[in-house]
Amino acid sequence: MHPTKPSYDSLMQHTRRHFLGASALGLGALAMRGIVGDAQAATLPKGTHIPAKAKRVIYLFQAGGPSQLETLDPKPLLREKHTQPLPDSVRQGQRLTGMSGYQATLPLAGSFVDFKKYGQSGVEYSDLLSHVGEVADDICVIRSMHTEAINHDPAITFFCCGNQVAGRPSMGAWASYGLGSMNENLPAFIVLVSQDATKDQPLYSRLWGSGFLPSEHQGVQFKAGKEPVLYLTNPEGVSPHARRGMLDALGKLNADQRAAELDPEVDARLAQAEMAYRMQTSVPEVADLSQESPATLAMYGESVKSPGSFAANCLQARRLIEKGVRFVQLFHQGWDQHGGLPGGIKRQCKQTDQASAALIKDLKQRGLLEDTLVIWGGEFGRTAYSQGKITKDSYGRDHHPRCFSLWMAGGGVKGGQTYGQTDEFGYNIVKDPVHVHDLHATMQHLLGVDHERQTFKFQGRYYRLTDVSGHVVKAVIA
Amino acid sequence: MASPLACAADAPVDFNREVRPILSDRCYGCHGPDADKGRKAGLRLDEISGATKKLKSGDTAIVPGDLEKSTMAHRIISTDPEEIMPPPELHRPLSAAEKDILRRWIKQGAKYDRHWAFVSPEPHATPSVADSSWAKDPLDAFIADKANKVGLKPSGAADRTTLLRRASFALTGLPPTNTEVDAFLSDQSPDAYEKRVDAMLASPRFGEHIAVGWLDLSRYADTWGYTGDKAMFAWPWRDWVLKAFNDNKPYDQFLTEQLAGDLLPNPTQDQRVATAYNRLHRMTFEGGSIAEEFRQDGINDRVMTAGYGFMGLTMECSRCHDHKYDPISQRDYFSMAAMFGDQNENGLLSFHGEVPPPFVRLHKSEEARGKEAELRAAVRAAEQGLVTSHTATAKAAVMVPTPLAHFPLESFTKTGVDNATTGGKPAKFERRGSPEDLQLVPGIKGQAVKFDGDAGFILPEFKQLGRHDAFTFSAFLRLGEKNARATVLHATGFYTGDGDASGVELLVDHGKLRWSMIHLWPNSAASIETVAALPVGTWQRVTVTYDGSSKAAGLRVYLDGLEVKTTVVRDTLHAKPRDNALEIGSRSRDAGFRNGSLDEIQIWRTALTAAEVAVLHGLTADSLPAAVHAEHAIIRANPTYAQAWERLQQARRALAAHEESAPAFFAMEHSSLAPKTFLLTRGEYDKPDLTKPCEPGVPAHIFPWNESLPKNRLGLARWLTDPKNPLASRVIINRLWAQVFGSGLFASSENLGMQGDLPTHPELLDTLAVDFVRGGWNTKAMLRRFVLSATFRQSSTPTAEAREKDPFNKYLARGPVFRLTAEMVRDQALLAAGTLVEKVGGESVQESARRRSIYTYRKRTAPPENMLIFDAGSREICQPKRLNTNTPLQALVLLNNPGFVEAAKSLAVKVSKASAEPSAQITAAFRHVCTRDPRPSELAALNELYAIQKASPPQFTPAPVKAVVAEPKADPKAKKQPAPVPAPSGPKMPADPSLAALTLVCSTIMASDAAVTSR
Repeated sequence: MHPTKPSYDSLMQHTRRHFLGASALGLGALAMRGIVGDAQAATLPKGTHIPAKAKRVIYLFQAGGPSQLETLDPKPLLREKHTQPLPDSVRQGQRLTGMSGYQATLPLAGSFVDFKKYGQSGVEYSDLLSHVGEVADDICVIRSMHTEAINHDPAITFFCCGNQVAGRPSMGAWASYGLGSMNENLPAFIVLVSQDATKDQPLYSRLWGSGFLPSEHQGVQFKAGKEPVLYLTNPEGVSPHARRGMLDALGKLNADQRAAELDPEVDARLAQAEMAYRMQTSVPEVADLSQESPATLAMYGESVKSPGSFAANCLQARRLIEKGVRFVQLFHQGWDQHGGLPGGIKRQCKQTDQASAALIKDLKQRGLLEDTLVIWGGEFGRTAYSQGKITKDSYGRDHHPRCFSLWMAGGGVKGGQTYGQTDEFGYNIVKDPVHVHDLHATMQHLLGVDHERQTFKFQGRYYRLTDVSGHVVKAVIA
Repeated sequence: MASPLACAADAPVDFNREVRPILSDRCYGCHGPDADKGRKAGLRLDEISGATKKLKSGDTAIVPGDLEKSTMAHRIISTDPEEIMPPPELHRPLSAAEKDILRRWIKQGAKYDRHWAFVSPEPHATPSVADSSWAKDPLDAFIADKANKVGLKPSGAADRTTLLRRASFALTGLPPTNTEVDAFLSDQSPDAYEKRVDAMLASPRFGEHIAVGWLDLSRYADTWGYTGDKAMFAWPWRDWVLKAFNDNKPYDQFLTEQLAGDLLPNPTQDQRVATAYNRLHRMTFEGGSIAEEFRQDGINDRVMTAGYGFMGLTMECSRCHDHKYDPISQRDYFSMAAMFGDQNENGLLSFHGEVPPPFVRLHKSEEARGKEAELRAAVRAAEQGLVTSHTATAKAAVMVPTPLAHFPLESFTKTGVDNATTGGKPAKFERRGSPEDLQLVPGIKGQAVKFDGDAGFILPEFKQLGRHDAFTFSAFLRLGEKNARATVLHATGFYTGDGDASGVELLVDHGKLRWSMIHLWPNSAASIETVAALPVGTWQRVTVTYDGSSKAAGLRVYLDGLEVKTTVVRDTLHAKPRDNALEIGSRSRDAGFRNGSLDEIQIWRTALTAAEVAVLHGLTADSLPAAVHAEHAIIRANPTYAQAWERLQQARRALAAHEESAPAFFAMEHSSLAPKTFLLTRGEYDKPDLTKPCEPGVPAHIFPWNESLPKNRLGLARWLTDPKNPLASRVIINRLWAQVFGSGLFASSENLGMQGDLPTHPELLDTLAVDFVRGGWNTKAMLRRFVLSATFRQSSTPTAEAREKDPFNKYLARGPVFRLTAEMVRDQALLAAGTLVEKVGGESVQESARRRSIYTYRKRTAPPENMLIFDAGSREICQPKRLNTNTPLQALVLLNNPGFVEAAKSLAVKVSKASAEPSAQITAAFRHVCTRDPRPSELAALNELYAIQKASPPQFTPAPVKAVVAEPKADPKAKKQPAPVPAPSGPKMPADPSLAALTLVCSTIMASDAAVTSR
């Protein structure tokens, strides 16, 4: 391995004069940092190109591909045509996965669950999302999402990192890199994985990785329990006092080394050790849900009491963003209902519906919703036809990247509306398609970032979250 | 790099160093080599002819020497947003200095030079420098010359302890031990340092260190990546790399064996193992994945990895379109893809995680390899024996043997089906799909069963239909439609785009019958297909036989009692299929026998002869040709033949058993059955442009192809290692340089193209590249030169002025400094603690084994956390270099990670045994970790820490409850994955106050800058 000499931190310690003075390298380094100066940017917060509507993001990622047809995109026609074959005119020869691609027939499946209108806006949600329905007027449902990959791993990687190729930075890593942290004592990007979820499809650290960005931007996983962050706890028998003593000694060693070696890198290293020490206090504090009021806990539902549940993680997310964490991403697995969909999706919604809604209400009552963007959704949708036979009370749905739904709220999003439209079979988009890159562009836009300008030069190419495309969806913005 | 010194109004402009980086970065995206789309206004600025051409608009971008007439000269300084170039949307405007460079260049005649890295390297004369006594190697003169030019002077020599630590990390990845330091300091001979360097180069630790960067580049790991992330048996390749470095295998061979070891004449087992380099890319078995999509991704990964690792080119940029910057067309890309896609392979991993063919058998010894050759000869002899046993035999009576089972399919019960064989019990069966979906319809005799394509039945008692078994299936069959694909019967388990099916299968493929014995499709299978398609709507008796020979010739298809003409699809069965139950009419995730019907299914555990098949169908024996009778008589009534057949089968079984006793190891294997390569429109796997077939080739615009070379990976290796090739030698020299000096002579080790960084010392780079090739691509010799150079031996402490002028030490007027890598930090702690287990090679291990970090098990979707925190990658894709960050999590690893706490404890115990005096203990511990003695102030700080901690010994709270965190679901059947280590109960301080205090001191030392840095 070839260690590159100066660390990124010491780079940042150098004077602006150095960047500018060193000509080509200097400009490159500035561009790398995404802070190429122009008149407008100079007056905006670090890393932003336009005024930000959202300061932070909570992404409730529903891994496995939740069915839009039982949640956010009602299709009465499917009930009428229940068990009838999917017309070729609808499928249009589009590819299927190898799981249902060889099925002798593709019978349409109507939703087993009813939809109702909610709120002033009258947006329809299924009965499985009745809690989320209560905050319908804060939510914008996008019904015309589409993506490129048809299998979980490529699709979830695409969604989280903007490309299905491994090695690209994740959404949160880009936010951390571009916007930095708002709290010196906590990482800028934190990941929470539900412990109460059905682990049907695995997750991978790449989904919150930093890719080619410096590793400080990778998502730090918070886990329920005594040690929320890996290696946070002192070895048994080492008191905080003893640790303080060690850091004082470390400070002396490093000060001595700094004087002898004239290397500012040493200071950076010590600063990081001090931050680690502060994290040892700040992390357990922020992870301690016991101080929450009974009313708040009740709002998130019974399962908030079980550590690491989706509900507990929603509450944890609120506490983290209150402390200035830039990007919190929850992952809730278990949405991969190839068969037995009714039972499976009931379970999933029971685990997530109340807490998702509670998060919106909680943020709102604390005045945080207006500058916190909340997004709920998975990596793709599910087919209008059943995978496997339809029986009296069950059916399944295969992966469907051609259209699916997700919702956004807060952080500059115009609530109480739906955006985009699918055909009456729920198979193709007929109006206002939103590609994953468009969603990313919109998310970055709300954060004050021009997705075309937040770039990182790597291997000779300027990379960005949205690759070479992506359009801001103006209509979802308030 | 444009030096601030060279800014005079009419100073001559250097195209390669000043102009091209600007044109490439701002202009080529729209006016570059990509011909397909995006060449705006028809203007091409990467060639003089394009730049000076009169455009459709009537303008000419560049009129050499004439600023007035050159449109470009105006547009770059325009203030009109509609006019200005580059356009504002690019968000990368030209600076005033850059505009000036471009305008001066046009004024001075707009001279284009070939991109520096695409010109063969030539040696340069060693510069003469004022202080010639300083230099120890010609390279030092190049360094001093450049340093002088930017106003810097080389630094004095580093002290000997620092130098030894630096060299030791550079060459072995470990610090020297205290004993080694003492011996070195007391050795006053003039070549004391050379001797130490030579010892390091000769140590096996050398390979264990140097290989790490190559493993990053080659995306070596212990799992396949993707969903499920099954164990990947790859470590023998890692050991090959290690050994290649330790044996100092010349780099041209290193390159050639990895790219094309299988194409060398009579390749050895090791040379074939080397080619696994190409196959270390991720593979998925996720249900429903499309094999061709992932086959193309795998090929792309090979091209990309070879591009970065050997060529310094971002080849993968050209998969979807011509390269935006470099002269690599999309066709060049697919010519390379044709090189790397030359295998008969499957894009998907099997759900069961078998080694994906093609593979080589890893025999442990020469003897075992010899035995394989012997057994092969025995099979050939036995085959010959069989031929000679074909003596004319008297006509034998034709009696159809009693079948093992006969299912008339008149009715089903819930769990069984009648077996009409005399004395036969009803066979158990399981339905796939719903009971009502199996339809009973009038058949050829009574009822038959009609299938819907999804439902079918499984006969769990009918298994062991293996490669050495002989059997026959017969049934009346009627197609209800012209099935494009339909599974009639199989014993292959379930199906995912061919990746999983393993066993015998009978398919209808566009009306033709396909009869196969498959280990893993398509590489390891015997398979035949009928020439004619079956008619729709007609009952015919289909009989298929297999004789247990593992050969396509052992498969036969009969219709209505007569053998039909077939073609061989595959004849390369290399291993035994999985043992699956027989299933009729359906297969999970595959197309079943939709609208097809079957009646009177019969099964024999023998291959019926052609005569028996005929008689079974009711043909009279007399009506059969003499040849059919003769064959029948030989098989059934010639004891010599029977013995010869048995001998042959025994020989085959013995060979197979011997082969299968050696682990299969994935490798490259050129095959004429590999799919043809076509240019993929926009790089999409499902859009091959059939009008654009691509033959194997290279980007010849960069370096011409020699027509005498074979058009395959071996030719590619020869092209790359041609002494005149401008890429390979520069790339490796740069990487070796970075290994020793911290960063390369050009920073973008992976990209020598136009968007790559310019070298800081181009003359030195080229001179070294030429030296390297002339010296026989000798890696150790080159590294030796580097560490023995005066440049390397300098003190790394800068003067304030030097730091100001060259903050990143690009000009090397001082010695290199770097933070230790993830591997070095951990290995140093283990070595200092005295707990490092030094064993070269072998299976990857968990960290608790205390082996060197290169052996740590690398799971791609969950890499070792403490290594990620220290900037190691996931090894999912090629990683040409690592970043070097400082984060709070690193401090947490050093102070709290169980392995590091353990090491601090062991170190405390070690030094407390050697001396009773705390200050001496602390000094020794400091030396074990940081190599040097602590400075008095450092020792004072540590003594103080010790005193305070000893005064307040550790307080133990009740045992902490470890949070139970479920891991992502692992496949329970995954083989060979080391059992997850139970979460340790958490590190704990020793109870003894002195030892506890000393442990905290050791921990503090390990977290200090002096520990984690090489200076």
